[in-house]
Amino acid sequence: MREPIVIENLSKYYNKFLALDNLCLRVAENENVGLLGPNGAGKSTTLKILCGLIRPSSGAAYIDGINIAEKPEQALSRIGAIVETPEFYPFLTPEETLSYFGRLRGMRGDRLRHRIKEVIQLVKLEDWSTVKIEKFSRGMKQRLAVAQALLHDPPILILDEPALGLDPRGVVEFRQIIEEVGKKKTVFFASHQLGEVTQICNQVAIIDHGKLLAYDNIAQLEEKYQSLERAYLALTGEPIE
Amino acid sequence: MSEFEKLRVVIRYEFLKHIRRRRLYWILGVAIVAELAVLIGLPALMDGYPDNVMVMAALLSIGPGFATFGAIFFAGDAIAGEFESKTGYMLFTNPVRRITLVTGKYFACYAAVILLVLLGYVIVSISLLVIYGNVPIETAKSFGLCLFYAGGVLSVTFFFSSVSKGAMGATVMTLLFTMVISGIIESVLLMAGKPSWFLLSTAGDSMVYVYGGYELFLEGVMPNGGMLPFAIETPDIGLAALSMAVYLVVGLVLSIWISGRRQLT
Repeated sequence: MREPIVIENLSKYYNKFLALDNLCLRVAENENVGLLGPNGAGKSTTLKILCGLIRPSSGAAYIDGINIAEKPEQALSRIGAIVETPEFYPFLTPEETLSYFGRLRGMRGDRLRHRIKEVIQLVKLEDWSTVKIEKFSRGMKQRLAVAQALLHDPPILILDEPALGLDPRGVVEFRQIIEEVGKKKTVFFASHQLGEVTQICNQVAIIDHGKLLAYDNIAQLEEKYQSLERAYLALTGEPIE
Repeated sequence: MSEFEKLRVVIRYEFLKHIRRRRLYWILGVAIVAELAVLIGLPALMDGYPDNVMVMAALLSIGPGFATFGAIFFAGDAIAGEFESKTGYMLFTNPVRRITLVTGKYFACYAAVILLVLLGYVIVSISLLVIYGNVPIETAKSFGLCLFYAGGVLSVTFFFSSVSKGAMGATVMTLLFTMVISGIIESVLLMAGKPSWFLLSTAGDSMVYVYGGYELFLEGVMPNGGMLPFAIETPDIGLAALSMAVYLVVGLVLSIWISGRRQLT
């Protein structure tokens, strides 16, 4: 079985603070895996290492077998990512922004124009495609972030709280998009929303203090702990009565 | 796709960002006001324009000089801004080497500054042509030195941008370095009669003294014929150009190296 995402003994220190402690994780092809954990558990650190934004203190992370720290450009060409709250250049429009990032990924001409139109329609920003991003709300930027992550049709999606800032309709639409594209892609995404994870993912990894506490099928965790919520609470601290 | 093709893409879109920003037009406005101040203020305060076209050309260099400082305002947030405003989370997840991104940003900033400087020298040339009926060949040399100076200032700004947490810090540090610190050291060295061509501020002055040195400039504009309490030696143009080239290369290389090691936490 192919494993597009492999995390091996990953540790990360921020000065003396240990954010990741020998984390090991393997995500199989076309799996949708949710990364759960309390604030400061190491979720964003894990995703940032996978996206080449920070370097691990020790261990390694691989995208399609490519060590991200050694060959970041090759590894990044296989992923679409949303990390933290997305921010864009305020003086550019969504079309220009997507054109910029698309060209950096080798897309051009009619293929790029067609794809930009497609993803803008997908995230329902058609009426705003030529408006400068400085006028955008947080939710609209989040939609644009989803569009840029899907632009080059990557086989792997790495998403950090992707529904943050979206209105209720936006959350539902986002879920539908990820459910649909997730059938053909490997999705690894961090979230605090257990309900969202349950609907999108078939597996979850629960981490705390940089350590992997559980990595299992959601159905099996629900069977063992009665619900994913109970599993999360039991694994990350004292259960709440 | 080659890194060169990616570089072209980065330059294109980073330049588009500069064109869309109001600060480009503000700097252009300041440069034009500076030129107008000389063109209108000089005959009003003195008895007409200087007799020597070289003196007037040197005086009008103030406009392109101001335009050069646009480099600081364009480049201050070029690298620091990606970290401060978190746009780097989008840009750096693209399969592009940091060296390509920083170099592309540098060329885009340079292109914007060249545009401003070029407009400044067009105004200088037209003014000289209208007032004196000719444009000295030294104007072209001054233009070349001004571009060198802009490149040096840009590299220094990129260096501060690569080490700063915020764009404002990078801008302030560059202004302090190029105007205050360099200026103080330059004054001390001038009074002590020591060479200061290695300072960016002195080297930048070469765009003015290319017209004939300090003596000509002072004689042309000072009522006492340019007498100062200490002697000023006009630095060698070649050394000044070399100095600016060193700032340009070292600043850019350092900013590329530091940016490549910087993590987006």
